[in-house]
Amino acid sequence: MSSCRLSCWAVAALLAVQTASASAQDTIKIGVITDRVASAKFYAEPVTRGVELGAKVLNDKGGALGKKLQLIIEDDQNKPDVSAAKARKLVDDGVAAIVSNTGSPATQQAQTVSLETRTLHLTPANSADTLTTLLDNPYFFQTGPLASIQLATLMAYTKSRGFKAVAIVRDNSALSQSFADSFRQGLDKVGIKVALEEVIPQGATSAVANLQKVRAEKVDAILQAGVLGPEMLQFFRAYQQLGMKEPILGSYNLSIPAYLTMAKDLMEGVVFVDAFDLDKPEAKLFADVYVKEYGEPPSSLPAYGWDGIRLLALAMEKAGSLDKEKLRAAMQSTTSFVGAIGAKGASWGFRDGKRTGFDPQGAVVRVIKDNKHGPVVYAGQK
Amino acid sequence: MPGASRVLAWLAAIVAASALAFWLGGYATDVYRKMLIWIALALSYNFLFGIAGQVAFSHFAFAGVGAYAVVILAHKIGLPFGIAFIGALALCALLAYIVALPATRLEGFYLALATLAFSQLVLVVIDEGGSLTGGTGGIANYRLPPVLGFAIRGPWYTVLLVLLVALTLWTLVRLDHSAFGRACRAIRDNAVAAAAMGVDVRRVKVLAFTLTSTLAGLAGIAYAYVDNVINPSVFGLENIFLLLFMIIIGGSGSHLGAIIGAIVVYLAPFLLEPIVGHGFLVVFGVLVVLTILFQPAGLAGLLTWRAARQAT
Amino acid sequence: MEDLPELIVSATASGCIYALVALAYLLILRPTSVINFAIGEWAATGAFIGVAVLTPLAWPRLEGPYWLALVAVLVILGLLGWLVEVVTVRPLIRRGAGITSPILALLGVLVIFRESLTMLFGADPLPSPPPFGFKRVALGPFAGASQQFLIIGATFAVFVAVWLFFERTVWGRAFEAVALNRRAAALIGINLRRVTALAFAAGAMVAGLAGLLMTPLTSAHYMMGLPLAIQGFTALVIGGVGRVEGALLGGLLLAFVEQLGARYLPIPSGLTLGFPFVLLIVFLFLRPGGLIAPREAC
Repeated sequence: MSSCRLSCWAVAALLAVQTASASAQDTIKIGVITDRVASAKFYAEPVTRGVELGAKVLNDKGGALGKKLQLIIEDDQNKPDVSAAKARKLVDDGVAAIVSNTGSPATQQAQTVSLETRTLHLTPANSADTLTTLLDNPYFFQTGPLASIQLATLMAYTKSRGFKAVAIVRDNSALSQSFADSFRQGLDKVGIKVALEEVIPQGATSAVANLQKVRAEKVDAILQAGVLGPEMLQFFRAYQQLGMKEPILGSYNLSIPAYLTMAKDLMEGVVFVDAFDLDKPEAKLFADVYVKEYGEPPSSLPAYGWDGIRLLALAMEKAGSLDKEKLRAAMQSTTSFVGAIGAKGASWGFRDGKRTGFDPQGAVVRVIKDNKHGPVVYAGQK
Repeated sequence: MPGASRVLAWLAAIVAASALAFWLGGYATDVYRKMLIWIALALSYNFLFGIAGQVAFSHFAFAGVGAYAVVILAHKIGLPFGIAFIGALALCALLAYIVALPATRLEGFYLALATLAFSQLVLVVIDEGGSLTGGTGGIANYRLPPVLGFAIRGPWYTVLLVLLVALTLWTLVRLDHSAFGRACRAIRDNAVAAAAMGVDVRRVKVLAFTLTSTLAGLAGIAYAYVDNVINPSVFGLENIFLLLFMIIIGGSGSHLGAIIGAIVVYLAPFLLEPIVGHGFLVVFGVLVVLTILFQPAGLAGLLTWRAARQAT
Repeated sequence: MEDLPELIVSATASGCIYALVALAYLLILRPTSVINFAIGEWAATGAFIGVAVLTPLAWPRLEGPYWLALVAVLVILGLLGWLVEVVTVRPLIRRGAGITSPILALLGVLVIFRESLTMLFGADPLPSPPPFGFKRVALGPFAGASQQFLIIGATFAVFVAVWLFFERTVWGRAFEAVALNRRAAALIGINLRRVTALAFAAGAMVAGLAGLLMTPLTSAHYMMGLPLAIQGFTALVIGGVGRVEGALLGGLLLAFVEQLGARYLPIPSGLTLGFPFVLLIVFLFLRPGGLIAPREAC
């Protein structure tokens, strides 16, 4: 009797150990570095949510290469040196790829790790043009809407209005400064003069002085370059207070729904860049899944994460294995992936050996009406 | 402890700390390297704050000056590394001297605010420096060039950091046990009495500030090559608070305290994060308040107290 | 130059916020010689309490009337200030632990408050509605948002009240006496503990009020404390620690230099961020006593 029970326990124990180790082999680990608590949380959190949702849906259909995807999520607090440390941790944990959903300088510093360890590294939503140019890292891919593309799309939309001189308004964060630089370069290319660049610093209590200067310059439009949170509120308050009428054109961070609450009634008529067109079937599919899971309609940000994880899964299937070089080559050879993000007719692709995948024709222009993101009024750069 | 066995003890510690570098994996090496740099910074800050009694908030700014100076000189302007290195240190020392001359006339927290204003100005200069400093995005895409024909990579760079800590500690201990160190402590405790005893208060204060800030610059230079990326954020306000907390919790005025404080405050978030998430900073704040209230000698004080008790 | 009157309104309003923070420092500094750097976080606390009472964005989501927010801020901050004094400052002063210890302990308190605010309210900026709406108000050529005029009015009211307190009431004279000479004040029977507790509570209340008043313009967010602490301290140094009027003058001067400089100086906008720090350094070195000389001991 007791020997039977002993052997039963032994068999049960053996089985438990076996299934444990077997299930450890049954998953593909994907690392996600995100900001849960600091200044990038605004956009990092929704993008990460999109990655999680995408992974869940992929797993329901069997995952990739016959194994389920397991996300290991690390918080870098938008601190670049922590981001690099977390990247190393993820590599030690055995991830097949790293997804960076955090501020651009943090993503930049994490690239040191992906380059050194030859790990596939994707940023689905960062838009800084310098991420693929500062460091020649063949393992790093960027599918976020580049600031240069955003500007070109905005300029295409407003070409008929014949802008000659504009003002750029930014704050002193890394994202904003990088946007402003890219905007400046893009404006020079189309021959529009940047009459003035104003900075609203963090901790400012009023943007009246800045906007008075803009008003005095008599510009044709104001370009808002990635201004974050409280500074953005100051900008709109001062704009309203000074009774200004210049058209405001904004980067894609104006597509964050939280701003509509923060600057309620102040953003009427603001034109901004987005990459989300709900009329597109893939976008609609994504939105339906999102609503079912979270009970509210999605902004564009989770869609970037959704597309990102699906791109990774696709690269894995194409590579046929998790070999680092094969993964990299598979990713680089992706040329026409149609995702939830992007205007109708646009697709993700790393053509001509470039590592930026956002379709130059993929951005759309929308206008804010009645405290809501209005419908798409323009697409692409033509 | 007699001279020979002390030298042996130092060597043993250095060898042990270096050997660890060859044994650690990628992530652990990263943690270890950054911890070594924090220890170096804590040691020099402990001398400035704990021994010389100057509450300054500029330590990280000088680390930043060192880091940016060496990277700009060596990789943007293209000077040979040896010259860039010396140039960066010289720039730190010069800047520290210029700041120290007026700053040491201030007392207590007013010195803290003046040095805080200075460090914020340094940040503004870096942020708005355009393509020279890389602005808020920073500078990347450089590597430590071969020194004397030897490319210092991997665990060997960690060994270099161990040597940096050893050098910093040795320098500060020597200074501490000299007339200069005694003068610093005398000024910290009672500047008027120290002056009455013949100490040149101004000169000692300026020297202490300049020396420790230059050591901070040295640590900054070392930091620049850990990830081969520098950006302004690491030299900001958050980290100066952390450094101050390290000294307070470890035991201000004690070199051992600085080391213990740096290790505890640096490693604690890794352990606490899975449990309390971002809230570990509250733990630090509470620890700081508790330390000041109940155990001003810090953790090092606890150790020496226990050692003293065991001796009786 | 039609910009100038509007700019004056904006600078005055910002200056009043700085002045309130400087006043909060001063109320604590004068009787205790303690520089309470956590004052910025107390202002942030006031801001978040305002959001919690006035809007549905944070618990308890009252969407209540403005007077309720005001009362809540004053009561809660008063209690918190008093609590901090009892727990962290009083034991140190009683022990005779010198001046740096309470200041450092308060840095620990700063971190505790800021992280607690992040944990309670999250990392996103939260706006609150101004009590008199978003209208543009014009007094002759001076035009600005209604909230800016409210800030100016409220600040002047607070300063008048505090000035009267110091000049005309027994308690106020007790404060002054303690500020001039602690030991002598104790010898003539002034209850030092009560004065210190009151100083901290009052400083906290004024800081909380500053946070509440500025939220409709800047929103409440967990990072707002530190810049405010620095700006308020700069205002204090400029105006002088000795007199209440100094805080107001310092705040206004700082804001005017900042905004007039940003508007009229022909230098790149990014560099104007350095102004407050340059001012702080200049005043700390060249005129540490501030612009208004302290009252002489008689």
